[in-house]
Amino acid sequence: MKRKQFISSIVPLAATLSAFAHGKTNLNIQNPTAIPPYLKPGDMVGICCPAGYITEAEIKPALLKLNEWGFTTRVGSTVGKKDFTYGGTDDERLQDLQQMLDDKNIKAILFARGGYGAVRIIDRVDFKKFKRNPKWVIGFSDATVFHSHINENYRVATIHSKMCNSFPDDWSKAEAMQKETIESINLCLKGEKMKYLFSPNEKNRTGLATGELVGGNLKTLESLAGSRTNIHTTDKILFVEDTGEYLYSIDRMFWNLKRSGKLEKLKGLIIGGFKIKPDDAGEAFGKTIEEIVLEKVSEYDYPVCFDFPVGHQKNNYALKCGVIHTLGVHLNECRLTEER
Amino acid sequence: MIKIPPYLKKGNCIGITCPAGYMAAQKAQACINMLQNWGFEVMVGKTLGSKSKNYFSGTDAQRRDEMQAMLDDENIHAILCGRGGYGVGRIIDELDFTKFKKNPKWVIGFSDVTVLHAHLFKNVKVASLHAPMASAFNDGENEYIQSLQHAITGKKSTYSCKPHVYNKTGNVIAQLVGGNLSLLAHLTGTADDIDTKNKILFIEDIGEQIYNVDRMMYQLNRSGKLKNLAGLIVGGFTDMEDTERPFGKKVYAVIKDTIAQYNYPVCFNFPVSHKKENVALKIGIEYRLKISKTNTQLLEV
Repeated sequence: MKRKQFISSIVPLAATLSAFAHGKTNLNIQNPTAIPPYLKPGDMVGICCPAGYITEAEIKPALLKLNEWGFTTRVGSTVGKKDFTYGGTDDERLQDLQQMLDDKNIKAILFARGGYGAVRIIDRVDFKKFKRNPKWVIGFSDATVFHSHINENYRVATIHSKMCNSFPDDWSKAEAMQKETIESINLCLKGEKMKYLFSPNEKNRTGLATGELVGGNLKTLESLAGSRTNIHTTDKILFVEDTGEYLYSIDRMFWNLKRSGKLEKLKGLIIGGFKIKPDDAGEAFGKTIEEIVLEKVSEYDYPVCFDFPVGHQKNNYALKCGVIHTLGVHLNECRLTEER
Repeated sequence: MIKIPPYLKKGNCIGITCPAGYMAAQKAQACINMLQNWGFEVMVGKTLGSKSKNYFSGTDAQRRDEMQAMLDDENIHAILCGRGGYGVGRIIDELDFTKFKKNPKWVIGFSDVTVLHAHLFKNVKVASLHAPMASAFNDGENEYIQSLQHAITGKKSTYSCKPHVYNKTGNVIAQLVGGNLSLLAHLTGTADDIDTKNKILFIEDIGEQIYNVDRMMYQLNRSGKLKNLAGLIVGGFTDMEDTERPFGKKVYAVIKDTIAQYNYPVCFNFPVSHKKENVALKIGIEYRLKISKTNTQLLEV
C-alpha cells in the first residue's frame, strides 16, 4: 500500500501510465555492480558522520523511523562528536566508518548528514571486507564521494538519498512529500523495484534509454575529476543536482563534465534540483539551467530530463546508484524504472 | 620545448579583448593611456565596452571571434585580457592556435585566463604571462604594473617577498606553471589539465569558502598534482569566507596541511593575487625559487 501511495502521489497525471512497457531487457552489461543484500526485519543499520557534525538529538527522529521499519540501529562514535565543522577529527571519522564497514552485523550504513569531509578520509578507508561482504551505503551531497568511489573502484551498488538530518521531528506533522521521500529509503533497503514518475519539463529531450544509474552532487563530481574516485559515465544514466551555486559556476561545472568526457557517451541525463545563488547586481548570467545543460549536450541525442525529484530539497527520493534503470522521457510523462 | 613569444619593442601593438566578463570602456582607459606611455600602440576590441546586457562581454561567438582575430593578426604583438570573471572555458575548445603557434605572441591575464594559460602551456606549448589586467591600472603605476612592462619587454624579473612561518626552505630551478586554484581544479580531467611534475606551481584565489579551498587542494593532491612538484608558491588567498560553523583553520593552514608530507620548497604570501600585489609571471619559463629563513626570491633564469 505504501508503495502505491508513493507512486500515485508523485504522478501528476495518473491516467495514462503505460506508454511503454518494461519486459526483461536483454542487456549485456559488462562488470555489473554487486547488489548488497536487501534488509530484513531485525537487520541493523549503522549511523555515522564521515563529514559534518550532528548532535545525538538530531538523529533521534531517524532512529525512531528505522526502528519502525523493523531495523535495529547502531549509533557510531562520531554522532555527537565535534571538531569544528566535522563530526570528529579525520581519524575519528575514518575509524567509525571503518568499523561499520567491517562489522558483519551492520547491513547498511546511513550517514547522519553531509557537509564536507568525505574526501579527506576516502583514501584511507579499507574496502576489502566491504567488497567481500557488501552492504548498503546511504547518503548524498558530500557522500557523492562514496557513491563514486565505491562504484568506480569496488563495483558495489549504493543508495543516494536523504540522511538523518532530513527526517522530520514530528512525523505526524510532516508533509506528504517529505514522508514519501523518506519512505523511499525503506523501499530501497527492502528490495522494492523502484519506479519514479515525474512531471515533464517542456525543455526535456525525449527518448528512452537503459543503463546503469550514477551521479550525485555536481560540485562534488567535479572535485573528484582526475582522481581515482573519478566516475566513468560511458553507457550510463547520469543524474546531477546542486545547491547554492551561481549560474556561472554551474555552467563551468557542466563544462568540466563535458570536457572531461562525461557527457559524450551517456545513455541519458537526469537533471535534479538546482538551488541557484542569485546573480550579483549587474552580472545577470543570462542563461537558465535548461539552456546551460542543453547547449552542452546539443551534439548528442540521448534523452535529457529536468526537474527530477533529487537534490537538496524536500522532493529528494532514494535512488540506487550502480543499478540498471530505464529512463523514459516523453512529452506527457517521465519515468525512471529500476531494471531487474 | 616551449616557445617563447618575441618580446615587445616600442611601437609594437597590444590588443585588448575581454574573453570573459563584461567590462565598461572607461575602466580600461587608464590601462590604454599607460600602455601608450610605455610606447606601444593599442588596439581595442569590440568586446570592451560592448552592448552586452548580461554577464559576458559579448556572446560566445563574439568573444571567440575577437580572440581568434587577435591571435591571428600579425600586427598585434601581445594580447592583454581586459578582465577575467568567467567565460574563457566556454570558448577555449573553439579557438584555433595554428597560426598563433607559428607566430606566437604574449597572452596576458590571470584569474579566468588561467584556462588560456593552461591550454597554451599544455596544448600549444607557448609561454604566456600571468599578470595584472586592464582594471589593475586604475590604481596608478606601481611595482606590479611595472613588472608587466618589464616582462613584456624582456627584462628578466627578480621578485622577493618576506618569509612566512609556514615556508619550507630550498633552492630549485624549474619551469613555472599555475594560476587560479579554482580554475586549476576545474580543469582537472580535461584536455587542459596541466602536468605539474618537476615544476614550480603557483596558486592564488579569491572569495572562496575555506572548506572549498581544502577540497580543491585535495583534488590537486588526489589527481597527482602536488606529489612531484619542484616547488610551490602560494599567493594571496584573499576575501576568504567561512562556514557558519567555523572550519577551524585559516586558509594558509589548510594549504600547509595538504602538502605536509612533501619536502619541496614552499613559500606563502607571494605577491600573486587578486589584489594589488600581483607580479607578472611567465608561465612555461624556468625560474629559480630560493626560499631561505630570511627571504624568498623568484628569479627568472
